Amino acid sequence: MSLSASSRQRGAIALLSLPAVFFTALMVVFPVGYTIWLSFRSAPLGHATQFAGLANYAQLFHSGSFWNSIEVSLALYLLSLALQLIAGTYLALLLFHARRMPAILRSILISPFMVPPVVVGMMFLVILDPSLGAANWILSLFGLPPSAWLASPQWVIPTIALIDTWQWTPFVALIVLGGLQSLPPSVYEAAKIDGAPAHLVFWRITLPLLLPTLMTAAILRSVDLLRFFDIIYVTTQGGPLDASDTLNVLGFHIGFELFQFGYASALAVTLTAMVFGVVLSLNRLRKAVAW
Amino acid sequence: MNKRILHILVVAQLVVVALGILFPIVWMVMSSLKSSADVTAYPPSFLFKPTLENYTHLLETTPFFAYARNSLIESGASTILGLALGIPAAYAASVTRSSWPALVTLSARMAPGTLFLVPWYVVFKALGLVGTYAALILTQAAITLPIVIWVLLPAFDAIPRSILEAALVDGCGVLRSLWRVALPLVSSGLVIATILGFVFSWNYFLFALVLSDEGTKPLVVAAFNYIGEGSTDWGGLMAAATLIALPPLVLAIAVQRWLVAGLTLGAVKG
Repeated sequence: MSLSASSRQRGAIALLSLPAVFFTALMVVFPVGYTIWLSFRSAPLGHATQFAGLANYAQLFHSGSFWNSIEVSLALYLLSLALQLIAGTYLALLLFHARRMPAILRSILISPFMVPPVVVGMMFLVILDPSLGAANWILSLFGLPPSAWLASPQWVIPTIALIDTWQWTPFVALIVLGGLQSLPPSVYEAAKIDGAPAHLVFWRITLPLLLPTLMTAAILRSVDLLRFFDIIYVTTQGGPLDASDTLNVLGFHIGFELFQFGYASALAVTLTAMVFGVVLSLNRLRKAVAW
Repeated sequence: MNKRILHILVVAQLVVVALGILFPIVWMVMSSLKSSADVTAYPPSFLFKPTLENYTHLLETTPFFAYARNSLIESGASTILGLALGIPAAYAASVTRSSWPALVTLSARMAPGTLFLVPWYVVFKALGLVGTYAALILTQAAITLPIVIWVLLPAFDAIPRSILEAALVDGCGVLRSLWRVALPLVSSGLVIATILGFVFSWNYFLFALVLSDEGTKPLVVAAFNYIGEGSTDWGGLMAAATLIALPPLVLAIAVQRWLVAGLTLGAVKG
């Protein structure tokens, strides 16, 4: 501790975090422990639970819907993340070169991720309607054939990835813009003096220096994307068939429509392990590319 | 000259992107103002006679205001609870330079909601609290608390140590030094933490989907009912969507400059 406060004050300062710690223990740590415990028990609704060993996990890893959900979740995750990082970097470069950000532009940029995901689902249900939606009309203007969008088993994941990209690209762009603004100008001046062409400056200087910021954005988006729920629940409910049945949508179905708490807990624990695994690896990568 | 053309190209691209970002929101508002004949017209109509009939119909035939009141109570109270817990915790973490309280609450934000929902449901059910405001406020505070800490921790960190030290050495007590010295210095962070906490709580769907009942249902969950009816009534659906999105949009735009700084500061520090 850097402050020269008395030890009595130190104790008092530490006490200030107690309410938050107590709340977190009660509302987060205890439930997580309980869920892990439940994942080893059979827990049909209204009956006492019994120790079931790894039965729930065995059932999970032998279930076709679980592996389908892994595939769906990963496809949606990787596609959305790639789209958002690329579009976000492009938008950030535009904002950086424009130099000024008028209030109207900043307001437009924050709007998508301030809209409730449920409302995002509602507006795209109307826009993407296969017969009367505006999206197919726009396609027809370019002479393109109509798409079934959310109703098509092949296109439902790319469509949801596009919706999420619409909602979160500005957020990624604002973070990348922060990174761009913190780059040392001296590097650019040196490159300019050497007469390096613009595309070389971007690939050899800007992008490598931006990697830590991009990793931060990737971590923030990964957390949300791997547990994707709201927009799917209000638009497709995991359909058509199980083409958009992400792990979180499947988990919700097992837990709160079938009320198989032990099985749902095993799935929730597995999903959480995946999220933490991805976040920790990305964090490692972020430290590796730090400068 | 070359530079000027480049600048015009950049601005032109920004305008196109901004229009793309705006389009779905504008389309939602436009559709909510269309008559039932206009809203399903194909090709879509851009020139139409605006009407408020979707809004009056929505407010007359559904308990929209009751749901709005639930949203307000739950988001408001969970934001206050998040602030009450998060302000002292962020201050303590900043002064003592310890990062673990922040780490614990932030990793709580990383976990998928389904990880907490089963225990919450079981416990609240046993206590007879499923469907009560208490259950919804407590669970939504698990959303607001990490946001408050995320925004306020870098704000407290930015205060010169000498100021905090002087306040403590003057013997004005820990709580007083937080309340009288530190808090006024992070007032913009406080506004952002409050607004972001409220907005994310207002927008959060999963917990209330399971833990609310007809009497305590917030708007985002009630919206789900409107979708069922919306297949036949796009205008009504878009009127509901517009009204539900309005409070978070207005709040965020009112503080847009600070909000962007608050969001990205947390990210760059994180």
